[in-house]
Amino acid sequence: MTRYILPTVTTDGIVCTCSACGFDLGPATAPWKAGAVARDLPLAVAGGPAYDTGFAGVFVRQFICPGCATLLDTETASAGDAALDDRLPLS
Amino acid sequence: MDPMTFSIIRHRLFRIVDEAVITLKHVSGSAITNEGHDLMVSLYRADGTLLMGGVGFLHHLTSAAEACKAIIRRFQGQIGEGDVYLLNDPYTAALHTSDIYLVAPIHHEGRLVAWSACFVHVTDIGAMNPGGFAPQAVDIYSEGFSSPGLKLLDRGEMRQDVLDTILNMVRSPEMVSLDLRSMIACCNVARDRMGALLTKYTAPVVDEACAALVEQSEQLFRARLRALPDGQWQSRQYLDVQGETARVLLTMTKTDDRLVFDFTGSDPQSRHSINCTKWAALGGLFAPLFPLLCYDITWNEGVIRPVEMIAPEGSIVNCTRPAPVSVATVGAIQSVNNAACTTIGKMLAASEAFRDQATAVWHANHFAIFKFGANQRGGYSIGILTETFAGAGGARSFADGVDIGGEIPNPISRMANVETVEGAFPIRYLFRRRAADSGGPGQFRGGTGGEMAIVQHRAPAGGIDYVISGKGARHPMSEGLAGGYPGAPNKYVWVHADADGAPGAPDRLETIPGKAEPVSWGVYPLRGRDALYVRWNGGGGYGDPIARDPNAVASDVTSGVVSSSAAKEIYGVALSSSGAVDDAATSVLRAAIRSARLAAPEAVQ
Repeated sequence: MTRYILPTVTTDGIVCTCSACGFDLGPATAPWKAGAVARDLPLAVAGGPAYDTGFAGVFVRQFICPGCATLLDTETASAGDAALDDRLPLS
Repeated sequence: MDPMTFSIIRHRLFRIVDEAVITLKHVSGSAITNEGHDLMVSLYRADGTLLMGGVGFLHHLTSAAEACKAIIRRFQGQIGEGDVYLLNDPYTAALHTSDIYLVAPIHHEGRLVAWSACFVHVTDIGAMNPGGFAPQAVDIYSEGFSSPGLKLLDRGEMRQDVLDTILNMVRSPEMVSLDLRSMIACCNVARDRMGALLTKYTAPVVDEACAALVEQSEQLFRARLRALPDGQWQSRQYLDVQGETARVLLTMTKTDDRLVFDFTGSDPQSRHSINCTKWAALGGLFAPLFPLLCYDITWNEGVIRPVEMIAPEGSIVNCTRPAPVSVATVGAIQSVNNAACTTIGKMLAASEAFRDQATAVWHANHFAIFKFGANQRGGYSIGILTETFAGAGGARSFADGVDIGGEIPNPISRMANVETVEGAFPIRYLFRRRAADSGGPGQFRGGTGGEMAIVQHRAPAGGIDYVISGKGARHPMSEGLAGGYPGAPNKYVWVHADADGAPGAPDRLETIPGKAEPVSWGVYPLRGRDALYVRWNGGGGYGDPIARDPNAVASDVTSGVVSSSAAKEIYGVALSSSGAVDDAATSVLRAAIRSARLAAPEAVQ
């Protein structure tokens, strides 16, 4: 049965996949973000001048499907902070 | 119980709260109350548990329940008909000292049967900075008058010695007196209308209906939780103050019909007054929970029972006395609001059945700016810039967020009109409007925030001063959902006028003549031809920005809420010189963005 962790990420309890293209993001026992392309964009780069605070070290962290390049999730992050962990129970 | 009688009593309880809110607004003379709607009224059962939560700032519903219980404990055996009690100690139940609770017992035929509680943010509380928010406070002792519970009215009679003591400790005592009297009027209306209800239906029948109402809410909420997917979702908020950054980390776990909000991993309490106490954090997480998960369920004790909160002692969300907390409502409490909104939004979005009820974070960053000083009528004024209540809607799974669309924790928040503010203070607005590119990009865009600038205008003292508690100028706080971006962060600028420059008619920050200096925390002057510019955050976006309908982007550019550069760089939309979408060029742009995402990913820092 397909279940959603987020609207963009599904799991059948065995693997996680991109909801848009079905790309395999890795086993459901691991955080799905480990199977995505992750990149930290400085605020001003991500959002343009309105996001340019003049301070370094704050990012819009993006998680991207390696198969279709869909933006699966974002989170505001300071350098060094771990990715947020969203998951469903395995059973 | 007869379902018709139950429904009538339920509806009457709701109307009693509604009428009490109207009373509060109409008696108060303070813009923060009757314009910004920084208020709350609710009804509680005889034991102090929440019976009927009202509108206003929802993070007060559970805290006021604790205030009722604290008054019951303190005054057991001394609670008389017509009494009104005051409580504003954050370490007992309140959120911060300036949000005063008045708690009033409701008797019927000589027996205590219920309580009403209300709050307003009083004009001043005697803290070291005017207005109640005290960014310069170092502990609770510098945050003004604070009571864990006192009797203000004894059997309907004002205790003048107590009132005079309070008013002797605050600035603008005439306004604080009016604040208190507006709440007393509110309690009177709630008591009188409850009395009529009890007389008509009898106390046993009303009590039976109230018990059933709590039970109904619990059953309905548990059923809703069972219909949602089990899982764990996380969110994080950053609070930057004076170069220091504090984190609020939330892990929300939903299992069957229970929700656990665990703040383990949040930073230790701060030396700045952004901390909040345990009761405040609890209220903070319920503020988005009530409207997002229980929009059709009566907000009462039944909704609270399936929820557990874990807040480590000594952390920024459960600080220990005497840590300062006067900025809590726009500090840690609001971050708890935002974090809970994010995790609840993720959970709703994870369900195909509930996805259309999910939302990115709305207006996530209040800026508490209190103006104070001599006014144009020879008096003294203190008041908040109510634009902080204007807000911005978060994007949904099917629609954009509402521009300047309010906030989740207060369904009736709004800002005063410009003329109201200019009538109360010697200031003039240069402009106030939606802020371009402030709404978080996404398939569905976050609602825009706004921007404004003010100058002094014929001020008898040459100007006024203001207290600003403006964290959040470094970090976006209204997180996006499902690939949507966060809304743009707040911005606060003091423009020092050129000595010999012409005043002109500036219509945006860049055209205000002078030297710009970022400000965010403390007390500053607004004098001469200097200006204060403020931009507040937009709501979070939903979904991938390059999935947005190109025509919607073109419309946003035409209306000025999205810049042409953002249209191209973030949304991948090419526009002709007439503003029309160039479909072919848009396809090329979007393909290039996809390639760039995969070809040259930036390393995670």
